[in-house]
Amino acid sequence: MNRRYARVVYEVARKDLLVESRSKQTLNAAFVFSALIIVVFSFVFGEAVGDREVLARGALWLAVVFGGAVGMSHAVALEGKNEAIDGLLLVPVDRSAIYLGKVVSATVLITAIGTLSLAFVVVFLDYTFGLEALSTIMLVIVLASIGFSAVGVLLSILMLHSQLQESLLPVLLVPLVVPIILAGTELTQPGLAPEMASAWFRILLAYDGLVLLAGWMTFEYVVED
Amino acid sequence: MAVVSVSAVSKHFGAHVGVDDVSFDLESGETAVLFGANGAGKTTLIRMLASLSRPTDGEIAVGEEPLVGGNASVRSRIGVVTHDTMLYEELTARENLRLHARLHGVDTDVCDELLETVGLADRGAERVSGFSHGMSKRVSLARALVHDPDFLLFDEPYTGLDQASLKRIADVLEDLDDRTVLASTHDLARGFRLADRLLFLYDGRLVGDATADAFEDVDEVVDRYDELCRGSGVADDDRRSRAGVPR
Repeated sequence: MNRRYARVVYEVARKDLLVESRSKQTLNAAFVFSALIIVVFSFVFGEAVGDREVLARGALWLAVVFGGAVGMSHAVALEGKNEAIDGLLLVPVDRSAIYLGKVVSATVLITAIGTLSLAFVVVFLDYTFGLEALSTIMLVIVLASIGFSAVGVLLSILMLHSQLQESLLPVLLVPLVVPIILAGTELTQPGLAPEMASAWFRILLAYDGLVLLAGWMTFEYVVED
Repeated sequence: MAVVSVSAVSKHFGAHVGVDDVSFDLESGETAVLFGANGAGKTTLIRMLASLSRPTDGEIAVGEEPLVGGNASVRSRIGVVTHDTMLYEELTARENLRLHARLHGVDTDVCDELLETVGLADRGAERVSGFSHGMSKRVSLARALVHDPDFLLFDEPYTGLDQASLKRIADVLEDLDDRTVLASTHDLARGFRLADRLLFLYDGRLVGDATADAFEDVDEVVDRYDELCRGSGVADDDRRSRAGVPR
C-alpha cells in the first residue's frame, strides 16, 4: 500500500465522519432504533425470561445488527445524493481505497452504536460484567464492527440506486453477518472458557479477513455501470 | 497527436444498445461537441470516457494508456462535469474542493483561485446545501478543474442554470482552449460557438463527424443532423423535437 493509496483511505474516512458530525443522520437513526429494541426487550421479556444475562446478550447483538443496518443505509445514502460517489471514483488510485475508507468510517460508527447499545443493556437489562471484562467486550464490538462494515458497505453501494434499499439491506445483510452474531453472543458471555473464547475470536478474525478481502477485490466491479 | 482514442466502443444494457460501435480520436486542444437527440447515447458515451462505466466492447485510451485495465493514474488527466454535481451538501464549497484536491494529491491552495474563477470566492465558507443549482454547478466545474486535467468532459453543462451562472460557466469553458474538451449540450447555439468539431450521434451510433467551420450557423447544423438521421423512420418533427429544436 503506497502513500497515495493510504491518503485516499484516510480522506474518504475523514470526509464521511465530518459529514456525519454535521448531519448526525446516521447515528441519530441508529441510536434511536437500537435503544427501542433494548427497551422493548426489557418490557416484553424482562420478567418472563429467567436468565437476564442471556436476554441482555441477545438484545445487545440484535440492537447492534439492526441499528447498524439502519446506520449503514443512511451512511451510504449520502454518496447517492448528487452522485457524489462518482467524484470519488474519478480519483486516480485503485478504487479499493474508497472501499477501505468507507469501511473505516462505518467501523467507527458501528462501534459507537455498539458501545451505546452496551450502555443501554447495562441500564435496562441489568447486564453486569467485571471491569476487567470491559476491554474484551469492546474488542469484540470493534472486531464485529469491522466485519459488519466490510459486508455492509459493499451491499449498500450495490443497492445505492435501488428504491428498496432501506428494506432490502437488512434482508440481505443479516444472513451474511450470522457469524458475527454467533461469535458476539458467545464472546460476551461472562466466564467463557479461554479455549472457547480463543476459538470464537479466531472465527471472528477469519470472518473479518475474508469479507474484507472479498470487498477489496470486488469493489471496482460493484461500482462500475 | 490524439489525446483520446475511442475504438469500436459499444455499451449494451441487456437487450438495449446504448452506444453502438463508436470510433473517433480527439486531438490535443480540440473541442468537440456531441450533438444528438435524447437517448442518442451522449451521456453513456461520456460516462465511459470518464471511466465511470465499462464498455461492453471496444477500447478507450487517454494518451497511450487504456482506460479499462490500465493504470488508475490515467484518471488524473480527466475532469468531468455531469448533470449531477458530485458534491457533498453538508460540506462547504471550499471543503468540497479541498477534499477533491487532497484526493487527487494536489495543493489545496488552488481551491481559492478556482472559487474566484467561478465567481464564488465570497461564498466558499457556505455549505453547498444552501446553494442554488447554478451555484452548485459552478462549484462542480471548479471541482472538475481542481487537478488541472488536460481532457475535460461536460455533460449538459448549461442545463437548468440562471443567466449569471450560464454566463460564468460559458466564459470559463471558452477559456479552456488549451485543453481537449468533449461536451454534450442541448443549448445548440452555445455548443456550436464552443465547438471546433461536431460529432453527431443517433440511436447510439456516430452518424456524422464534421468540423464546425463547415457550418454557417446552428440552423445548418440542425439541418445536417436531420439529413444524417433521415431514413431512420422517425418523423421530421419528432427528430427535431428530440434534438431540442423548437418546432
